[in-house]
Amino acid sequence: MASAAMHKLLHPHRSREENHPGQQNPASSHERQDSAGMERVREEEKHNLMQWEEQKHPLAPGQIQNQEQKHVGYSSEALRQEDFELIKTLGTGTFARVWLVRVKNVNNGDENKVFALKILRKTDVIRLKQVEHVRNERNVLASVAGHPFITTMVASFQDYDSLYMLLDYCPGGEVFSYLRRARRFNEPTSQFYAAEIVLILEFLHEQQGVAYRDLKPENILIDAEGHLKLVDFGFAKKVENRETYTLCGTPEYLAPEVIRNTGHGTAVDWWAFGILVYEFLVGQPPFWDQNPMKIYEQIVEGKVRFPSAMSEDARSLISGLCTVDTSKRLGNIQGGAGTVKAHPWFRQIDWEALYYRKVGGPIVPHLRGPADTRNFDEYEPEPANREKYTKEMSDKWDEHFRDF
Amino acid sequence: MSLPPDYSNEISALSREVLKHQPHDVLQFCANFFLRRLESQRAEFLLSPQHSSPQGRGMAENSFPGNNPFGSPNNNTQTFASIDEEEENDLVASPTASSFPPNAMDPQSHAPAEDSFGNFAGFAASAKAQQSHPPSSSRDPQSFPNNYNLNRRTSVSAESLNPTSSSSDTFTPPYHQKTEEQQQRLRAAVAGNFLFSHLDDEQSAQVLGALQEKPIPTKGIKVISQGDVGDFFYVVEKGMFEVYVNKSGKLETGLDGLGAKVGAVGPGGSFGELALMYNAPRAATVMSAEQSTLWALDRVTFRRILMDSAFQRRRMYEGFLEEVPLLSSLKSYERSKIADALETKKYPAGTTIIQEGDVGESFYILESGEAEVYKRGNDKSLKRYKKGDYFGELALLNDAPRAASVVSTTEVKVAQLGKNGFQRLLGPVEGIMRRNDPSKETDGVDPLAKSN
Repeated sequence: MASAAMHKLLHPHRSREENHPGQQNPASSHERQDSAGMERVREEEKHNLMQWEEQKHPLAPGQIQNQEQKHVGYSSEALRQEDFELIKTLGTGTFARVWLVRVKNVNNGDENKVFALKILRKTDVIRLKQVEHVRNERNVLASVAGHPFITTMVASFQDYDSLYMLLDYCPGGEVFSYLRRARRFNEPTSQFYAAEIVLILEFLHEQQGVAYRDLKPENILIDAEGHLKLVDFGFAKKVENRETYTLCGTPEYLAPEVIRNTGHGTAVDWWAFGILVYEFLVGQPPFWDQNPMKIYEQIVEGKVRFPSAMSEDARSLISGLCTVDTSKRLGNIQGGAGTVKAHPWFRQIDWEALYYRKVGGPIVPHLRGPADTRNFDEYEPEPANREKYTKEMSDKWDEHFRDF
Repeated sequence: MSLPPDYSNEISALSREVLKHQPHDVLQFCANFFLRRLESQRAEFLLSPQHSSPQGRGMAENSFPGNNPFGSPNNNTQTFASIDEEEENDLVASPTASSFPPNAMDPQSHAPAEDSFGNFAGFAASAKAQQSHPPSSSRDPQSFPNNYNLNRRTSVSAESLNPTSSSSDTFTPPYHQKTEEQQQRLRAAVAGNFLFSHLDDEQSAQVLGALQEKPIPTKGIKVISQGDVGDFFYVVEKGMFEVYVNKSGKLETGLDGLGAKVGAVGPGGSFGELALMYNAPRAATVMSAEQSTLWALDRVTFRRILMDSAFQRRRMYEGFLEEVPLLSSLKSYERSKIADALETKKYPAGTTIIQEGDVGESFYILESGEAEVYKRGNDKSLKRYKKGDYFGELALLNDAPRAASVVSTTEVKVAQLGKNGFQRLLGPVEGIMRRNDPSKETDGVDPLAKSN
């Protein structure tokens, strides 16, 4: 690759600034899309997307940290929704919708390169008071892009009333669907998935100071090779070592300190990880009731009951993780994630080989092609009558969205 | 060569059963055990989509049988998980509609509807029917709920809360005057609620003080409407309320809009407590049956009180810890970990907190009150401790006996940390002390470092 092209690949946003010095306000970006310079940048960015899709590979932890050098996770001023053909909805949330997309007008051979595009409507984000969470999500995804088991946000951009995150497409669908269909996973399958999650948490907590805060099978996808990808960073927050107080997560997976509002940190992910391993092995989480308040009562009490056939090692791991006292919780004590990796339940895991995806996954999705969506459920079309993003809203809120 | 894990699991499950039942005829018992396991496992297989629909989608075809990175080559026929409870009282036993809520397959409809009504039954129970709802802890340890909701679970979140960082700008919760009897009634009303039972005296007083009186002038007023957003928790002071649930999941207009009456709440009862956690749709409609009075508490106030006192206490502990020379080399995040692990204890006046000659296990910071130091053979106190003073810190370092006794002279509150807790979080304190010893830093070599 020529060095100029490489430079563009690594610094697409930089080159744009060179072309348009001083024009950094995102609100005005779509007004000058027709300028020849911007048109050229757009074509280059699309070309780069194709190259990334073709060559994507996990980065080493040190490379991920290097925001300047990696060519993913950047904020684009050139891309816009019209550059993508929306093929099918892959998932919906209360204020977001994820689409399978194809980049329009590309060279022969690139037509089957697909991405997932997460679209958020600014009005919904504001109405549901999720502005801060959405900002955290974009910034955390940008800084972790390149990790082998976290969805890669290739780029983010925005237009007048929407925010966009361009992600790599995981054709295998949610671990949740596999788990519900299988009812439970056997021990080796559970160990494999759990081990990949440990690598994710180790990285998020110890390299990034980030608490993920919404671990559950619904948020874990399976990629084309059978490896995991953690998605939906809506509640992820850079907490460093300070405690935080906002209650968020999923009822069955909330840690006791979140319920009691005594302040929480990355330790909540280790609690949720224990719940996850339990759900893998048993088919349902340990604390459950039709009445959510009863779930919370069980959680703060913290007594996990195990089916009689669960192995001793699995019990010991789950008990260590689901410990109400955070000063005794596995993963949060001295040694951090290392104490989890050293647990006997993981004794057969080669952590180094696992990180570099050298170990085959237990479920490799059957795919008819890269754009196969049969592992995703069908979703209702987006409601047509959307609330308008007004000038007043834009004046008040666009400042908060400028990272996109 | 090791035995396949599935085999080991089965054998250990069998061993546990044998221990439990102590059978006379061991062979017959084992044979029965395996027959039962085989039946349940095959039943599971027959129910799987993989088996019932050969055109089944993606996953089933190539996933569970084999291709397992850790499994032994021989267990490729093992289709499903080996973990299994004895009583197959969960989904396998009832694969039909009863285990799936009507909306189970509809990804658009999340939780609420009728299955979350239990939600409400819970509060009503706090009124008078305590006995009829055994606490969940008394459940048979082997019985798992057989109606687990298999839908995708929706994430929840409350308002973003940030503690006031500057001490000049402290949060003052609202305070509404109450008589002594009213306070007692309120305390009794929330006593069984775990959200309140964890509060310390100060938090408890603030929360009760923040409850606001809300007169309900007549019969027929809807205090909460099913399906609406919920921000308040209510305690009934006097009067009577009726509870209705509409199967559609929300209050509707028209004659039958309320749905079916499912209960009533009278004085001392409470409802709407989920609203103290986050904003979830109300699970029922509650309407006054006569002129009544309520006490109301909103989520933001409640969580703010909890957060603020937790935040203040942590910062106070961190401040105290900074003053301890033995721990001066702690990094600020380490101090906050320790602050998180400190345990608050209260002792009446005249308590011997540490006893001269005992082996020291814990380190103490005096949070409030006063204490004095005595040595054997000397009736006069050698020293007086007050708020922010600390003692017993050498226990973190070694097992030497306590050099003196510390006795409280007033009621005291101490923050306590054991040696074990400290080491669990940060490793041996010696290592931490060595860190900022300048003589070690300059030559860059730590002769003791190898031991780590």
